[in-house]
Amino acid sequence: MTAVTAAEPTATPGPEPPLGEARRGYGADLWNAVLRNRKALVGLFMLLFFVVLATFPGQIAPYNPQATDFLPGLGPSSAHWFGTTAYGQDVLSQVIWATRQSLLIAFAVGGLATVLAVIVGVSAAYLGGVADGTLSLLTDVLLVIPIFPLIIVIAAYEKNSGLGMLIIVLGALGWSYGARQLRSQTLSLRTRDFLESARVRGERRLYVIVCEILPTMTSLIVATFLGAALYAVLAAAGLQFIGLGDPNSQSWGTMLYWAENNEALGAGMVLWAIVPGICVAAVGAAFALLNYAFDEISNPALRMRRLDRPIAGARGDAVPAVPPAADRILEVRGLTVAYATDGDPVIAVDNVDLDVGRGEFLAIVGESGCGKSTLLYAITRLLGPPFAGEIMSGHILFQGRDLVSLDERRLRHLRWREFSVVMQSAMNALNPVLTIEAQMRDACKAHSNMSDKEIAKRSREVLELVSIDPIHLHSYPHQLSGGMRQRAMIAMALLFTPDLIIMDEPTSALDVVAQRSLMVQIKELQQKLGFAVVFVTHDMSLVGHFSDRVLVMYAAQVAELGATRRVFAQPRHPYTRALMEAFPSIHGANARLTGIPGSPPDLARPPAGCRFAPRCPHVMARCHEAVPPLYDVEDDLVRCVLFDKGTVVEPSLVQAS
Amino acid sequence: MRFVVRRLGFFVLTLWAAVTLNFLIPRLMPGNAAIAMMGRYKGHIQPQALHAIEVAFGINTHESLVHAYFTYLGNIARLRFGISLTFFPDQVTHQVLQALPWTLALVGITTVLAFVLGTFIGLVSGWRRGGMLDGALPPLFVITSAFPYFWIGLLAIWLFSIKLGWLPESGGYDVQTNVAWSWNFVGDALTHAVLPAFTILITSIGGWILTMRNNTISVLAEDYVRMARAKGLSPGRIMWTYAGRNAILPNLAGFAMSLGFVVSGAILVEYVFNYPGVGWMFLQSVENQDYALMQALFLLLTVAVLVAILAADGATAVLDPRTRDRA
Repeated sequence: MTAVTAAEPTATPGPEPPLGEARRGYGADLWNAVLRNRKALVGLFMLLFFVVLATFPGQIAPYNPQATDFLPGLGPSSAHWFGTTAYGQDVLSQVIWATRQSLLIAFAVGGLATVLAVIVGVSAAYLGGVADGTLSLLTDVLLVIPIFPLIIVIAAYEKNSGLGMLIIVLGALGWSYGARQLRSQTLSLRTRDFLESARVRGERRLYVIVCEILPTMTSLIVATFLGAALYAVLAAAGLQFIGLGDPNSQSWGTMLYWAENNEALGAGMVLWAIVPGICVAAVGAAFALLNYAFDEISNPALRMRRLDRPIAGARGDAVPAVPPAADRILEVRGLTVAYATDGDPVIAVDNVDLDVGRGEFLAIVGESGCGKSTLLYAITRLLGPPFAGEIMSGHILFQGRDLVSLDERRLRHLRWREFSVVMQSAMNALNPVLTIEAQMRDACKAHSNMSDKEIAKRSREVLELVSIDPIHLHSYPHQLSGGMRQRAMIAMALLFTPDLIIMDEPTSALDVVAQRSLMVQIKELQQKLGFAVVFVTHDMSLVGHFSDRVLVMYAAQVAELGATRRVFAQPRHPYTRALMEAFPSIHGANARLTGIPGSPPDLARPPAGCRFAPRCPHVMARCHEAVPPLYDVEDDLVRCVLFDKGTVVEPSLVQAS
Repeated sequence: MRFVVRRLGFFVLTLWAAVTLNFLIPRLMPGNAAIAMMGRYKGHIQPQALHAIEVAFGINTHESLVHAYFTYLGNIARLRFGISLTFFPDQVTHQVLQALPWTLALVGITTVLAFVLGTFIGLVSGWRRGGMLDGALPPLFVITSAFPYFWIGLLAIWLFSIKLGWLPESGGYDVQTNVAWSWNFVGDALTHAVLPAFTILITSIGGWILTMRNNTISVLAEDYVRMARAKGLSPGRIMWTYAGRNAILPNLAGFAMSLGFVVSGAILVEYVFNYPGVGWMFLQSVENQDYALMQALFLLLTVAVLVAILAADGATAVLDPRTRDRA
């Protein structure tokens, strides 16, 4: 046995895009994403409107904002849309001229706070050590001290100190939140390859920060700016409203100050007090909408996409292989699953047929991204974020019932009692805030009338089955080791001794030794309790030892399906062969491991013919014409034209190589 | 244990920073507001009050800055904030204690209410992703969370007091009512609290709803939620103990973070409604250049935020076993 940790068979990397190329992409992509987001567009237009007002107030405003030429306290009319002030000034003209200062404050404070946040946040993370400690502490203290009262205190000693002072104080105090986020983002970037390579190349620190780190954080920097600008607009309006700004300045806050002092609301000059407030709110809302949109753009999980119609033309095209056992518990027919994207839907599982017999161990193998996990979650009807795919067509017959058409309520009764699931990483699959016992109790309560005592007894039993001391029932997931967590999850799946357990790479998070002992244990339990297993993995060596049959998936389709022993002895599909050569054999002689050249196709634009053709050593002209059907070769299903009876090929290729 | 010590150390440090800012700001400001003020007050007020100003600004003393600083720290430690100019010759501490219950009742209760309500609505809205609630609420609250608190207060006064005459527009109680623990007084105080409470509630709830919704959506993509679905748990159970319990943890951290925002909003709301609480008194002290009172209130606001953060830390420890183990 080789001591190689099982890893995904890595595709030989193609030419990487030059770094500069990738970086230039960030800005352009961001801009395109903004233009596609409705909230961002609304925010952008609102902001643009005020920018126009601020740029050309002289041309737009009907009167001189300070001139006291009119009767005081006029109501709205065609001459004075928003009426006049208690001093006989035109409210509309004042509002328009005031835009200038409010926007100036927003942009200046936003800019200043962002620059400070970037300097503090990025250098804290990049320098590390004492510098990081000091800067982070400063950030945290400033974050906790109530800023607005502090600004009031400063303004109280230095009344009417003018615009510059206001901007400096707001900016100097408003950077902490952004700095904190930028720091953690930089920390997560520090170990990335491209930074390592820059360090190895001997680039200077400043150069690395400015040219390598900052461009990747564009959206966070923009969000910091928008947040600071929003806070500046509101804080400045508040300060001016309570009379801590320059009372002669033209700003919305100052207008509200004068309106309040003249009791505008009670005295019938309602619009004098309302319109400037609406403007503050509108500019604030514009920044908030943009900020929210950026959140959505940088966190795609927040966006929603929907598929609204089944994809036409999906139907079964092959006879499924007959499982060895006479009675099947799972029959999947023509299953097609698609993901919604910004463009056309991507088909991640394309017309898959498979059967599982009672007590059988079926392995599903393939490179990452081939659709094997999607297939598994479609079968268990667990598609949902982050696998937001949808079943477009097909049937999943489980013990005679079609799971596809079953509603969630009836499905719930089958779950865990009849089939259960073991996931890839128990660290993520166990609820971190509940004890193991509580999570077992949940499942028991959902499907039985067991008393608390019976539940405790059963929980102990299943833990003992996977050789964990029942004392750990009271442990939280984070208190267990990785191997123990994984076992605990398997124990949980055994609570009702279901007929079928579906396992998604249950061992891939473990080291080789723990992996093997867990596999042996699964196999023993299976033989003892008689449940069937569908086992997804990328590790061919696990498959060979433990499974009865193996299904090889490539680019959303079944490439080969047959009895494990036969497939290992005589892999037929060129992809299966390549996969086997990419893994160390467990008992074989020392052979050279080869990767598979090229990379799997982009499922959004699959090749027209055979999907493996671009990487296949035996490719011929007809491979590019149409997707080959599954050929039945001695109870083995193979999707390769080499096995079409009409194809004339060298016999050595069809025979075992 | 180490975690608790570190956390408490951080709070002490923050408090010290606030005290030091209080001491330094008046001494660092350019232009001498104090001298001008002394000139203005000379002959108008008692020498004792003048001395209070001198102490606050550190003028007319022969003490070194360092010495003055330690005297100042000593006074603060014994809660001796000096004499209020506005309420001369009353002690600052006494004045602050009179305003505190009003703010605790109004801002304290409404903030907690807004947090609980907002978190609940956010959870349901994130859970029913793309439903009616989720379609309408987030954009609405993105916008309302950008509204200035005080302006919403003004609108509320205009609509409910001036136009409709349903509710009183200012003060914490009717001056004609006796201040005592009677039904009459409590009822009156509640009537006066409705509008300011409503103002704080609708402007602060949006933030909680949005963050909780986004947390919920992130948590729904977690494996343990999928696992809960695989286990066939009821939707209610999954929403509360799997999605909710985990989504609220970052929200609690966010609670601590946005308290400064709530405090600043509450100050302005109290100002708009002339509500006799700490915020209103704070702005009064600024108006009257009552620096001793102002400094004490600024410290009080800082302490209030720290206490709330401590409470959020406590709640996190109760809800998250991982934090408990670190503590």
